[in-house]
Amino acid sequence: MEQPSSSFQLLERIKKGDREALSLLLDAHRRRLAVLAHYRLGPQLRGLVEIDDILQETMLKAYLQLDQFTYRTPGSFMRWITRIMDHVIADAARYHGRQKRQATQLLPFRSESNPGGPEPADSRTPSRLLAQDEGLRSLMRELDELPDDYREVILLAKIEGLSTREVAEQMGKSRETVALLLHRAVKRFKKLHDLEESL
Amino acid sequence: MKDSSSGPEPGTGNPDSQPAADEEQQLANAAADFHDLRASGEVVDVETFCRKYPHLATLHSQIETLDRLEVLLNMPAAAGAPARQPEALPERLSGHRILSEIGSGGMGRVLLGVDEALGRTVAIKVLDSRYVNNTLLRTRFMQEARAMARLSHPNIVHIYNLGQPEETPHFVMEYVEGTSLTEAARALTIGQKVELLHKTVLAVEFLHQHEVVHRDLKPGNILVGPDLEPKVLDFGLAHQADSGHRLTLAGEIMGTPDYFSPEQAQADPALDARSDIFSLGVIMYQLLTGTLPFRADSLSDQVHKISEQDPVLPRRLNTSVPGELQNVCLKALEKKPGDRYQTAREMADDLARFLAGEPVHASPTSYSRIMAGKIETHLRDLEAWRQDHILSLYEFDAFRKLYDRLTDREDAWILEVRRLSLSQVALYLGAWLLVVGATLVVLFRYDSLSSTSAVLLAVAAAGPTAWLGIRCWRQERFRIAIAYLLAFCLLLPVALMIAMNRMDLLSGFSLGKESLEIIAQFSMTRRPTNAQLWWAICLSLPAYLWLRRFTRASVFSLVFAAMAALLPLVSLLRAGAIDWFPDEARRFYLWLVPVALLFFAMAALIERRGHQADSRYFYPIAVLFTFVALSGEAAQDKHLTDWLARTVPQTHGLPEYLFITNAVVYLLLQSFSERFGSAQMRTVAKVFRFVIPGHVLTSILLLGINATSNWDNGRSPGWQTETRFFEILLPLAACAFVFGSIPKQMKNFFATGLFFLAIGIIRLQQDLLKNHSLWPVSLLIAGLLLMYIAVNYTPLKLAVIRWLRRGR
Repeated sequence: MEQPSSSFQLLERIKKGDREALSLLLDAHRRRLAVLAHYRLGPQLRGLVEIDDILQETMLKAYLQLDQFTYRTPGSFMRWITRIMDHVIADAARYHGRQKRQATQLLPFRSESNPGGPEPADSRTPSRLLAQDEGLRSLMRELDELPDDYREVILLAKIEGLSTREVAEQMGKSRETVALLLHRAVKRFKKLHDLEESL
Repeated sequence: MKDSSSGPEPGTGNPDSQPAADEEQQLANAAADFHDLRASGEVVDVETFCRKYPHLATLHSQIETLDRLEVLLNMPAAAGAPARQPEALPERLSGHRILSEIGSGGMGRVLLGVDEALGRTVAIKVLDSRYVNNTLLRTRFMQEARAMARLSHPNIVHIYNLGQPEETPHFVMEYVEGTSLTEAARALTIGQKVELLHKTVLAVEFLHQHEVVHRDLKPGNILVGPDLEPKVLDFGLAHQADSGHRLTLAGEIMGTPDYFSPEQAQADPALDARSDIFSLGVIMYQLLTGTLPFRADSLSDQVHKISEQDPVLPRRLNTSVPGELQNVCLKALEKKPGDRYQTAREMADDLARFLAGEPVHASPTSYSRIMAGKIETHLRDLEAWRQDHILSLYEFDAFRKLYDRLTDREDAWILEVRRLSLSQVALYLGAWLLVVGATLVVLFRYDSLSSTSAVLLAVAAAGPTAWLGIRCWRQERFRIAIAYLLAFCLLLPVALMIAMNRMDLLSGFSLGKESLEIIAQFSMTRRPTNAQLWWAICLSLPAYLWLRRFTRASVFSLVFAAMAALLPLVSLLRAGAIDWFPDEARRFYLWLVPVALLFFAMAALIERRGHQADSRYFYPIAVLFTFVALSGEAAQDKHLTDWLARTVPQTHGLPEYLFITNAVVYLLLQSFSERFGSAQMRTVAKVFRFVIPGHVLTSILLLGINATSNWDNGRSPGWQTETRFFEILLPLAACAFVFGSIPKQMKNFFATGLFFLAIGIIRLQQDLLKNHSLWPVSLLIAGLLLMYIAVNYTPLKLAVIRWLRRGR
């Protein structure tokens, strides 16, 4: 669980030029960001861009723009860095979109619209981050099992750390519905998790 | 956020569609409340929270599940982990005894170890214990080692071996006993610094050839041993171009952005070897000037500077930096990767050219930006003209269009655009007519114009001009004001002189003829005296100084300098120069020497006090006086030629020898003025240098011709030897000047040398080598050979240098 004061203290240390503090803070958020990045990239980009690279650029940008960040709540750091990551992913998508237009011989990967294309995982090694972090991999396996709505509410509420009201806004639903959705999602997730543990 | 790889579980419909039991909704709301409290940063105790909802039995386990997810996500390193304690050193690693810790970086520490079997000292990089259990980081750490181990280059740190899996992750590398590049370069000469850089750039080129982009080049990552061999290390950020794998630790923020390239600072995903070139440029800049090119207080400022601002020119910070090196440095620091050196090899080649004393190829674009800045100032000037209604809007636009073409690097030459407009010309023409008219009034007598009214007329012309000038200045119509004031400057001595003439003041105290001799030739003149002219100039000088102070326009310094130059000439007139000049010309020229020195002193003094805009008018006058004095002495001084003929009879007292002596004097003068180091003194030195080849070569040619004609006339046999001597001397001296053009880039040395070389060859052909067919053939061979050497100059020269070094 995130300690409200510790994140704040780390930020204070970073502002004084303590690089280790930033390293620690980013470490603390690395898994969350990796999970978010994985799902935000989508299957097409996932084959072309590595989550590691997305994280790297995000961290670098965060580091360079740190003086624009203001601390309000413990969640504001996560919210701020997610926004940065969204930009990075958009940039990567644009970059690869351009690349693809330039190199027409590049075969599009298999997707719903192109079932004949090669499997992304075949042509590229899967992200090393995922390959080497067993915990993270099983977490993602469980998330993959969830229905889309359940996964999305967990991503927004638990990983991005938004309040249920904010989640409701993003998903265009009432808070009551979101609360129920989250409740059922967590229940389902627990069931999957226990199943995985017992295997 | 749709993910095609996972479908909804069979049998599960849309969650929204299932009706929620009242209890389930309550449970969901309570859990959501708990979640929101946490998200807003409240510290909430689970037990206390659950007690508020006694009817919701499963709430506790629900929240626990929520928390489990949280724990799972926070696993790698808990936020706010205690600060790292200094760790104890391991006994041994890979069979090396560990002696001490040398340093620590982001990923781990570097230990000093000793290989007892081989007796060599090694450096061992160990992964930080915080990361030991992180499989990801472990792998990356070892990947860095493998990336380095693949490369073997004398200027890249060697990896001896990798740690075994059962030990703490580490690798053993060469121990470089040395300091960082900047530390090491502190006591080096520029040449040695460039040698170091050259080696470093070649090492980076080696990396690039193996498709590794270093990405973190900085002086701390380039160690220099006592043998001045640099070693590139720390591939913590290295990016293997072929695999596309970035060996960067995700959470690790690399050192300082001081050495970042613009694309790195903007986190551009398309980063290539040219980013390293930029970092090398930053390092080079630091070596040359001692400061970093882009420094800012905050990171975002720094990023802005790196990507937007041109660095201060290195030569501004350190005048001893050769312009060639500045070019190389700026070329590496170009903002756009496409403008930089495209490979490290190109940069290394340019550095090698510098080391071999060759011109480098770099031509940075920042110069053209500076040029554009100068054009901007001139455009502002033109704008001022337009506001004074001297330029019409139409004309101004025409000028601006021409300038725009120039800045767009179309072929419009600067002279073409520096044209005068009709009204500009008219303004200055009017001022000039005013001055000439007033001078006529002073000098000539007119029957219908009494001398009193002439005085009044002159004053009437001078007074209002000054008044109008000052008024325009106050109204900030500066250009017009300066035109009026310049007219006043010239009218002032005229008016003073006519007034003195009328009142018969200060007419005496002159030797020789009193009246101004030149004017006295005409009839109907007013006959002002030398003394009156002298006083008129002398009294005007303070007025010019005042105008300079009042307007801060340096053009009045020009007027002052010109008038001050007239003053010694008029002094000579007062001393009766016209009377004794035909007989004693040397006296006149000798007098000019102290005057020239005085002007040099004034110019140097004014420049020293920081008024460069003013001193530049004094130097040319001083140089002019020097030329006139020395050439006049050589050509006209009978005493000197007689003395020469007496002391060195071989010279036959010919003045050409005196001109050669003058050339030697100019040579001394130029090396003397160059020592001052100010830009204007360097220009003075250049002017002195400029006249040397003409003096020397013309004199040798004339001496040769003189000797030939004496020999032809059948005079003493000594003339034959002299003819031959000068015949051979002329082409040799010409060649000396051709090559002498290189060190100071004197193009006229080159041109004059070539011209006289051809004359010398023709003279040889006419006399000594008549009808020798070998002569033109050997010329052809020499020409071809020279061209071959020139084409292969740099490799040949480097080979010779290396060979000489080995010999030592």
